[in-house]
Amino acid sequence: MNAVLTTMRTALADGWANRRSFAFQVLLMVVNDVTWVLFWALFFNRVGTVRGWNPDDVYVLFSVLLVAAGIAIGLLANSRRIGQLAADGELDETLVLPIEPLPHILTKRIDAANVGDLLFGPVLFVLAGNPTPERVAVFVLGSLAGTVALVGFLVFCGALTLFVGGRGEQGDLGFNAILIFASYPLDLFGGATKVLLFTAVPAAFVTGLPAQLVRDFDAQRAALLVSVAAGFALLGWVTFSLGLRRYSSGSLWSR
Amino acid sequence: MRPYLAGFNRGLRGAVVAPGDLTVRMTFLVIVVLVMAALWSAAVEANGGSIEGYTRDSLLWYVMAAQVAVIAVRPRTVEEVGEEIGSGTVAVQMLLPVSVAGLRMSIEAGEAAARLAAALVVGGAATWFLAGAPPSGAGMAMAVPACALGAAANIASQHAFGGIAFWLLDAKSTWFVYQKLVFIPGGMLIPLELLPGGLEAVARVLPFATMAYVPGRLASGHAEPALLAWQAAWLVALVGVALAVYAAGQRRLEVLGG
Amino acid sequence: MQAIRVSELRKTFPAGGRVRRRDAVEAVAGISFSVAAGERLAYIGPNGAGKSTSIKMLTGILHPTSGEATVLGIVPWRRRRELAARIGTLFGQRSQLWYQLTPRQTFGLLARIYGVSRADEASRVASLGELLDATELFDQPVRSLSLGQRMRCELVASMLHEPEVLFLDEPTIGLDLVAKTRFRDLIVRINEQRGTTILLTSHDVSDIEQVARRVIVINHGRLIYDDRVSRMRRTLLGTKVVDVRFADPPAMVDVEGAMLEKLTGSGAKLVVDTTQRPIRAVLDDLLERYDVVDISVADPPLEEIVSHIYTRPL
Repeated sequence: MNAVLTTMRTALADGWANRRSFAFQVLLMVVNDVTWVLFWALFFNRVGTVRGWNPDDVYVLFSVLLVAAGIAIGLLANSRRIGQLAADGELDETLVLPIEPLPHILTKRIDAANVGDLLFGPVLFVLAGNPTPERVAVFVLGSLAGTVALVGFLVFCGALTLFVGGRGEQGDLGFNAILIFASYPLDLFGGATKVLLFTAVPAAFVTGLPAQLVRDFDAQRAALLVSVAAGFALLGWVTFSLGLRRYSSGSLWSR
Repeated sequence: MRPYLAGFNRGLRGAVVAPGDLTVRMTFLVIVVLVMAALWSAAVEANGGSIEGYTRDSLLWYVMAAQVAVIAVRPRTVEEVGEEIGSGTVAVQMLLPVSVAGLRMSIEAGEAAARLAAALVVGGAATWFLAGAPPSGAGMAMAVPACALGAAANIASQHAFGGIAFWLLDAKSTWFVYQKLVFIPGGMLIPLELLPGGLEAVARVLPFATMAYVPGRLASGHAEPALLAWQAAWLVALVGVALAVYAAGQRRLEVLGG
Repeated sequence: MQAIRVSELRKTFPAGGRVRRRDAVEAVAGISFSVAAGERLAYIGPNGAGKSTSIKMLTGILHPTSGEATVLGIVPWRRRRELAARIGTLFGQRSQLWYQLTPRQTFGLLARIYGVSRADEASRVASLGELLDATELFDQPVRSLSLGQRMRCELVASMLHEPEVLFLDEPTIGLDLVAKTRFRDLIVRINEQRGTTILLTSHDVSDIEQVARRVIVINHGRLIYDDRVSRMRRTLLGTKVVDVRFADPPAMVDVEGAMLEKLTGSGAKLVVDTTQRPIRAVLDDLLERYDVVDISVADPPLEEIVSHIYTRPL
């Protein structure tokens, strides 16, 4: 655990070494997020309540997404690069260390821009999410569960390259699809799409369910969220560990 | 003219030969069309069948054309131009006896043409499935060249923006913000008529509206030829600005010995 | 005590590839050898010979297709983490040092990862810094160091946890001659002062001469030579290749101790067995008897030595 925390601290120090660039990217991302909030404000301004969702509900949804994405691809920036790392033989430097490889790989890289998301998400929730103590608690736990689901899903997709080759492009596609769907309220989508969002493109578990729980907490759905998130985490872990046996370390072009 | 045509061809062929990239983009197009369809259906439903004269079906055609025009263009060009300038790669490019900006824009235009063709087919099919035939044949006929003009304007504008890196030197992540300018004042996410008065007026003055709003408006059944003229005018202006920015930057590099 | 034992180790990469269909590649085709504790071994072969693949199996990065190996009595791919704590690695083409930070900051992270106490970390960094003449580099950002300086710090990093075996994969790649010589010297120092077993892969023949006492040559995934360097030097490294250019090309080049391999319109290529006649004498003859415009003396390319080994078993 100490190793993991130190790795993350080192990654932060590495990113922070160029202060101006880091801060600038964080700022740009915050601006980017604010414009998204602006879009929703403009939309609801003209359209009014849609299927029972008003602007504040959507802002809660968006804050969950920001926290989940901020952690998954900001702090744990390698979670979406596992495919690339495997294809380029860049897992070597971790595999020679006497530690569990996956936590180290995930924490050794930070993406400044998406850290901006992580900073703005809670701010948005506090401003627009009616932060009573209960809602804050559900928000934090729900976002964390969503994060775990997202990271597990990303690691799973990336680890697949250890089995089928490629550079993880499928994972990238899946991730971007999740991002799109996860930005809109679940109720917007009809039957077939909704099934998709609970399975192959698990946006429902990343933001949909957590946001619903903040609106309207219910122990059963909370349990569902937590167990599915844990399931994705396990899936990612197992796929990656099994995949390591087939790792070829980029040796295909430099033996 | 010939080197620029050659650049265009190179871009075109490059995009066609990389089916992976095309497939990914088309998949996104379909996803976005689906999502927007869901959003605007719900929105129109909640507003008694139409908003600012747009029905659900015409809104879907709006979305289709706006998305097609934008998805044809690489969103990170601003950043890439900035990086080429910041890293000095552009100095090497300037050794060629052609306009760097002109050549670069031609190549990207070629790529965009390939993507545009694919997107029109895929996006058109998806939207037809969801919303039936386009509300106006004339509008749709004008929307196709409008998509091309909009994409071209987008490319030129990104080069103009990226060219600022000659002076600022750090363009990382700026493409996000640029993208949002196309999304909102550009009318890609939301038709300009739905914006509050002041914002709508500002958006109509900016060039971004020609990149998404115009093709969308035409495809949604409002066959207004003046829109095409407006696009053409902005395209010329933006290309001019891009070329000027690069030329000024080039002079600056020569002075600095960069 | 055998630090490393390898028996019939094999690694085949399966056929595949989406863009360009690729046949199965047998990178390592059944190799066997052992390395005693404290030994300095050079593991030599041309590019693509299977060197890196071998090392990666011995360090637990790759799983072999078949065969056995133990390092310090541990099977690398089965108890990877346990072994990792006792071996050190230095990959010439991959850095352990964080680019924007100082080497000392990387040492701190590695110390936490390897479970080295802060007190031990401090004393080891100090003593390694002294041993490797690198102390003044520790507090500068890695991005500002030259490649040679960086490699010295990489050595410190790989020795921080006092490994019993040090694997180096092409460590001198990209270094200039002076830096290479210096680096090789440091490796010998580590081995002599700490008894660390050294296994060094390279395609540079000079690595054999300066560092190793024993050399293994691998080619096409197979071991084709395994003996002490002194013996190899005597028989094979005594050869030099002389490239001469003449102002007025002669019809024939005849010099004692030199074998004419090629004669062209502008020059000649000669092979000299320096164990038969010193190179100096050959050069003197050449310069005296012919109108030489340019002359260069080189070691035969490794491929040539390797093919000689291959065709002339010793």
